Amino acid sequence: MLKKHPLITFIFFGVVLYLISNRLDELLVYQGATVGIFVIAIASLILLTGYSGQVSLGHGALMAIGAYAAALLRIHYNAPVWLTFVVAVLAAAVGGALLGLAAARLSGPYLAGTTLALAIGLPSIANQFSIFGGEQGLSFDIGFPPASLGEDFTQYKWYFWISWSAALIAMYWLRHVLNSRYGRSWRAVRSNDVAAELAGIHVGRNKVLAFTISAGLAGLAGALLGMTISLVSPGVYPLLLSFSLATGAVLAGVTTLGGVMIGAVILVAIPEIALAIANRYGGSETIITNLPGLLVSGLLILTVLLSPNGPVEQMHARHAKRAKSGKASHSPVELTLRVGSKTWSTKK
Amino acid sequence: MIKMNRRKLVTASAVIAVAALTVTTVPAQAYNPRSNEPGLTATTIKLGITLPMTGIASPGYNKIPGAMKAYFDYVNANGGVNGRKISLVVKDDQYIPATAVARANELILRDRVFALVGTLGTASTKALTSSTQLSRRGIPSLFVNTGWSGFADKKAYPTTFSILPSYQMEAKIMAQFIKDKYAGKKIALLYQDDDFGRDALAGFKTAGLTFDTLIPYASGSQALPATGAGWISKLRTAAPDVTVVFGVSSATTALLGNAFAAGWVGKTQFILGSVGGDATTIAATNRGLVGLLNGAKGLSFAPAPSDSSDEYIKLFQTIYAAAQPTQTFDNNVVAGMSNAFLAVQAIKAAGKNLTRKGLINAIETKGSTFANPFLTPLGYSTTSHVGATGYWFGTYGPTGALTPDGGKYTVYTTDSGTGPVVESTYKRPAMPAKGLPN
Repeated sequence: MLKKHPLITFIFFGVVLYLISNRLDELLVYQGATVGIFVIAIASLILLTGYSGQVSLGHGALMAIGAYAAALLRIHYNAPVWLTFVVAVLAAAVGGALLGLAAARLSGPYLAGTTLALAIGLPSIANQFSIFGGEQGLSFDIGFPPASLGEDFTQYKWYFWISWSAALIAMYWLRHVLNSRYGRSWRAVRSNDVAAELAGIHVGRNKVLAFTISAGLAGLAGALLGMTISLVSPGVYPLLLSFSLATGAVLAGVTTLGGVMIGAVILVAIPEIALAIANRYGGSETIITNLPGLLVSGLLILTVLLSPNGPVEQMHARHAKRAKSGKASHSPVELTLRVGSKTWSTKK
Repeated sequence: MIKMNRRKLVTASAVIAVAALTVTTVPAQAYNPRSNEPGLTATTIKLGITLPMTGIASPGYNKIPGAMKAYFDYVNANGGVNGRKISLVVKDDQYIPATAVARANELILRDRVFALVGTLGTASTKALTSSTQLSRRGIPSLFVNTGWSGFADKKAYPTTFSILPSYQMEAKIMAQFIKDKYAGKKIALLYQDDDFGRDALAGFKTAGLTFDTLIPYASGSQALPATGAGWISKLRTAAPDVTVVFGVSSATTALLGNAFAAGWVGKTQFILGSVGGDATTIAATNRGLVGLLNGAKGLSFAPAPSDSSDEYIKLFQTIYAAAQPTQTFDNNVVAGMSNAFLAVQAIKAAGKNLTRKGLINAIETKGSTFANPFLTPLGYSTTSHVGATGYWFGTYGPTGALTPDGGKYTVYTTDSGTGPVVESTYKRPAMPAKGLPN
């Protein structure tokens, strides 16, 4: 259904989410909004890593760029909320494009190091210039939900609706991009950049484009995250967020968007699980504070060891093996690439 | 992408349809402000606090919940308040505003507390108040541990009550003290460059005090070694006779540590704001630095923790020694127990038919008469949500204890506006029997 009627699938999914938002208690609705935001953030990372073959350990910083742009626009120009999100996408995309120019010349650990430096360095920039509000940050208040939605329509439900509307639109759009010429070019670059170059694909340009689009989506997620806590500050986008997103992408399976929900739900669930464990064993504040980080790291290591391509990809692989259909699996290293009238197979 | 044939499509559609129908049968739990008061039963009241229990700002402050619980347990053991026993849910926000928002959401949505009490830090409290929409939900935020003058504004924060005097009041009183004692001297100000420090700047400006040197620092940057060294470098160049510190205690620690390391000791008269003069915090980082406080000026609105002649302090010392026998009784403990004491008075005043609205109303209409340990009047009214309204000055000794100048508490009072700084004539009423509400 997703492949044949993607629009209907997304609309149907939206209707289900709408029904869910009306039935859950406030805490779950609030957490649900965060899941929607992580869906966008993880998808942006999967686009970058799984499809274009570039690594980013600094996606939290790109989220922060979008969020600060949105908050500044809201504070100084009282811009409508939708416009702040558009500007968040554009600002982060510009940041991503600049970073992408450097990234296109780097690979592997050098690229990881560069993006990591951005994540570490960005809070210092916020502290350096008073326009960013220092550690205290900037207020990002989107206001009350429209009165027409009723008196009992809570703020959290409003966040849920906005987050998931953005997530569904972003995922629908992203799916089209990944299935377009650009997506195919990225996969070709990821699988074998020499072969891709020989096929007439401009590797550098495609890498920068992937970084720009990924950053734009991260900026949207960043602004949405700032919205849910009415605040944009360095503390909202810590280094741990960047690492968590990387973990979420690995858990989701970096080579496919299919598992993005799994990664997002796990990221939101980890603090809950940590709290439950800490409470059960009478843990101190230090344990409660540090356990989520430990769980994120542990899960990352376990996933890399046991299911390097993520559970969804593994499920596909098993399914394909069982079926013994002989058809090519979905792994990008086995993709057949068609550019114009020419056809290449990247299968090794 | 996921591939599907017709059979799978039908199965998937059926599963989603059943799931959707199941979800719709779950009763709606939308927030309803008119429903029963959360966190409240006929015999219990659940309160919640978020503050730094770990991280750079936590030393000292992390004793506050233990002190509050000690007093609540004392009240509970003696029958509670209007027949209800108080419990306190404690969350750690590490002094990070974003984390404070998350913890406040947990307190409100998961723990379903009746009210917040004693949340700490200007930035954290502002962020959580705005994000969780306390005023829209009608959730009381009692006696926040910040003196940001904005919280005293009933219109902007209708459910939030301060306990500290505002930073503007504190700055005005400090300014008057400096004008009286150090007229014509070169004066420097080290301050936290956020709402906390800027509120004080506004107070100094109102009082007409100008500084020869201004050194702002970003909250959190005091943890960086280069930051404190930079302050000393600037101070050494400026050579002020008096250095006023309006920051958190970890900034004072960085200042003293770097002053000592640079051999810049005894070169200026330090005047520490009430927030930044906590010897416990300084000792937690480096016990050797506490001695450098000796001779510095400071101010407070509560009785000195060492003053056993004060009936409140005597009671608090007894209760705390029984509850936390291994902990030192210091000004953080006094702050926590005073906060709990005031919360109990407010709940008592709200009566047996306790509601969130009734609690807010009780503080507004009767709050200025609540029994409390402070040496200044309380400013609660239907138009103001400010707590204590003045300060006394003292001098730090070699152990970091602040004792009042002249051997007695001379309290000065003012407002957050343009009103004058005057010596207070307030006489604190006697403590209720055994410090209990009933």
